[in-house]
Amino acid sequence: MVTPTKSPFADHTPVYALVGNPNCGKSTVFNALTGLKEKVGNYPGVTVEKKIGGTYSQHGKPIKIIDLPGAYSLAAHSPDEAVLRDVLLGRRADTPQPDRIICIVDASNLERGLYLVHQILDLGRPVIVVLNMLDRAAKAGITIRVAGLEKELGTIVIPCEAANGKGIIELRLAMSRPDLPLARHSWDIPAPVAPAVAELSASLIENDGRSPLIARAEALLLLTDQDSVRVAGSVPLNSRTTYILRAWHQRWQQDGVDWAAALVSSRYEAIGRICAGTVQHSSVTGSTVSDRLDAVAVHPVWGWLVFGTVMTALFLSIFTLAEYPMNWIDMHVAALAGWFKHIIPPGDLRDLITDGGIPGVGGVLVFLPQILILFFFIGLLESTGYMARAAFLMDRFMARVGLSGKSFIPLLSSYACAIPGIMATRTIQEPKDRLVTILVAPLMSCSARLPVYLLMIAALLPGDRVPVITKAGIMLLMYALGTLGAFGFAWLFKRTLFKGAPPLMILELPPYHMPRFKEVVEQMIERAWSFLRNAGTIILGFSIVLWALTTYPRHPDPIAAPSAKIAYSLAGRVGHLLEPAIKPLGFDWRIGIGIVSSFAAREVFVSSTAVVFNVENHGGGKRADQAPLRRALADATWPDGTRLFTPLVCFTLMIYYVFAMQCMSTVAIVQRETKSWRWPLFQLAYMTGTAWLVCFAVYHLGRALGF
Amino acid sequence: MPASLKNLQPLCQLPAGATGRVHELRGTADFCQRVREMGFGETALVKKISGRSTVLCQVRAARIALNHSAAMNILVERLPAPAGKNRIQQCPAARQDPR
Repeated sequence: MVTPTKSPFADHTPVYALVGNPNCGKSTVFNALTGLKEKVGNYPGVTVEKKIGGTYSQHGKPIKIIDLPGAYSLAAHSPDEAVLRDVLLGRRADTPQPDRIICIVDASNLERGLYLVHQILDLGRPVIVVLNMLDRAAKAGITIRVAGLEKELGTIVIPCEAANGKGIIELRLAMSRPDLPLARHSWDIPAPVAPAVAELSASLIENDGRSPLIARAEALLLLTDQDSVRVAGSVPLNSRTTYILRAWHQRWQQDGVDWAAALVSSRYEAIGRICAGTVQHSSVTGSTVSDRLDAVAVHPVWGWLVFGTVMTALFLSIFTLAEYPMNWIDMHVAALAGWFKHIIPPGDLRDLITDGGIPGVGGVLVFLPQILILFFFIGLLESTGYMARAAFLMDRFMARVGLSGKSFIPLLSSYACAIPGIMATRTIQEPKDRLVTILVAPLMSCSARLPVYLLMIAALLPGDRVPVITKAGIMLLMYALGTLGAFGFAWLFKRTLFKGAPPLMILELPPYHMPRFKEVVEQMIERAWSFLRNAGTIILGFSIVLWALTTYPRHPDPIAAPSAKIAYSLAGRVGHLLEPAIKPLGFDWRIGIGIVSSFAAREVFVSSTAVVFNVENHGGGKRADQAPLRRALADATWPDGTRLFTPLVCFTLMIYYVFAMQCMSTVAIVQRETKSWRWPLFQLAYMTGTAWLVCFAVYHLGRALGF
Repeated sequence: MPASLKNLQPLCQLPAGATGRVHELRGTADFCQRVREMGFGETALVKKISGRSTVLCQVRAARIALNHSAAMNILVERLPAPAGKNRIQQCPAARQDPR
């Protein structure tokens, strides 16, 4: 029976929720409906992205659309899925309960997609089912009788190919209807479960203030889900409801009957009956394009060859293509600082802007081209479906250190910058695996270490007589050390601090798609903006603090050399204070200042070293001509006249930067993602501690060997 | 032992190209729930595509990768080739074995 519903347009802006399985084309539908009019944020207290967009009905009335995280079921196994469940059940005070729900289903995998639809129909809200990717279903020989499906489900069903823009007008028309039909969906729940559903529903109505329809849906969900994943911001269940739930589970446990399994299978049976009457499979012969591509992409030999080629292309683009825009940005940042120097009279304000703020923000901006290229590649690999294959290939390797293939993408991203890498760990469901990945991600050599490596290699192997291959070899050695360190620590953590069962990875490999460049670019901009917002603001704050540390207290002689001024400042004093701790590594107090100042960002080491060693640095940045700095480093000596930057010290310093946690922005992001100060402080201690120990061993071994 | 249970084996041990029927799920309630909802419910048909350590298989119309620990928890009853072939015809994407 189909009942039309009251129009939500009458008294307020209607709220639609967009839900669907991962890879069902949900984002494409969301973008097609909203254009770029979307607001991206976070659900308060939980690191799940909140995407809200706006559009207009056919009659020009505004409509709000919430893009909820992709999920296979309303039973939550991760914070993402918990947010989906809680928004739909109206458990979150920060998000309005949607008036209507749009369910996107991949037509080529209707049965699995309908599982979530089936749960959502229980909620008793008006639902529009969007049958997406019909073209792919047709290619696979699947024909779906849309009218039959509408009749079976009692909802509007829109055939759609969102990637080609087909079906979007029809969807908008359906969304504009004031009287969407309300499916009176019913299915035969196993009889012995019925009393439990009834008792729980009654308690949810009475004690948790739910409406009768939502209460029944929630009761069914609680019996399979047990409300295992709770996230901040969601209203907890009343103690009476929790008690009833626990009592029923105990009773079933004693009886030895798994009613959770029975409920899932009874849903699939109901879906099977719906599909039997509406879906036809023609006997198409031959394999699909995806099958043929997978024959190579996941092949034990060819697969690794493809993977190697893709990764080489990714790194080559990050380190070669990005060079030009990076130089351009660097030049303009320096020019901007010069311009401010010109227009503002000398004083603290000018120094704060030109030596604190601008180089700080410039220090982040300069890495933007690399970050954009990385995000473009990641978007491209995700959009084509290859990323899941890469995770599949890497799983065997990751399993050796106790992680799963899902940790691969965050670690890969960390080669550009640990911040997007740490943010990408949100897809890892197992909390222990996520935390281990967060803890080791900053060990992957990020691009901010590059300027330090380049300077040290230049000081280590001066002149052009040294073949490039030797320099590249040393660089590769640093990358290899970092990677080995990350895997080594992951292995250690999984066996000590985060001991647990091996991770269970279940990953769907979506069919291959032609990349949708518009979406990839939009996603790249969105991710890059989020990076800039997070890292940029933190780094700006820290650069100002650091500027103050290297400026105050002021040297009594205003015309003193910059190196004398910095030695007199608080940072200089900290450098001196630090010397006893770093002298065993062959570093003096001036290197100490470099280390202290590069807590803002590793690349700051180069510019602060230039100041400390009295080098007139045109351009104020790391990418300026390094020859004068290199000469200054070669001439630097200890008070007894021995050379400071011996090849061994340069090598040790590089190793220090491989392991040490020299990045305040990472500390701040880890704090935000783990919602505790314990883990970032632990990370700071174990990474910097390891750096010290390894450097100590290398320096003294080197000395013993006569270097 | 019933004749049908003789062919019972973890999914990772099912040979590539063979089809099995899910017989039993092991592991935590959370894991069982997840795999059931993704289509690996008891009696579901699974076609193994490749892999012994990390397993790639086809269930309903989806291609799913499971790591070794997850695949060890799914016990399947190996079906004789003809029965599997007939059923799998419903999933055209499942036909090719890359190995």
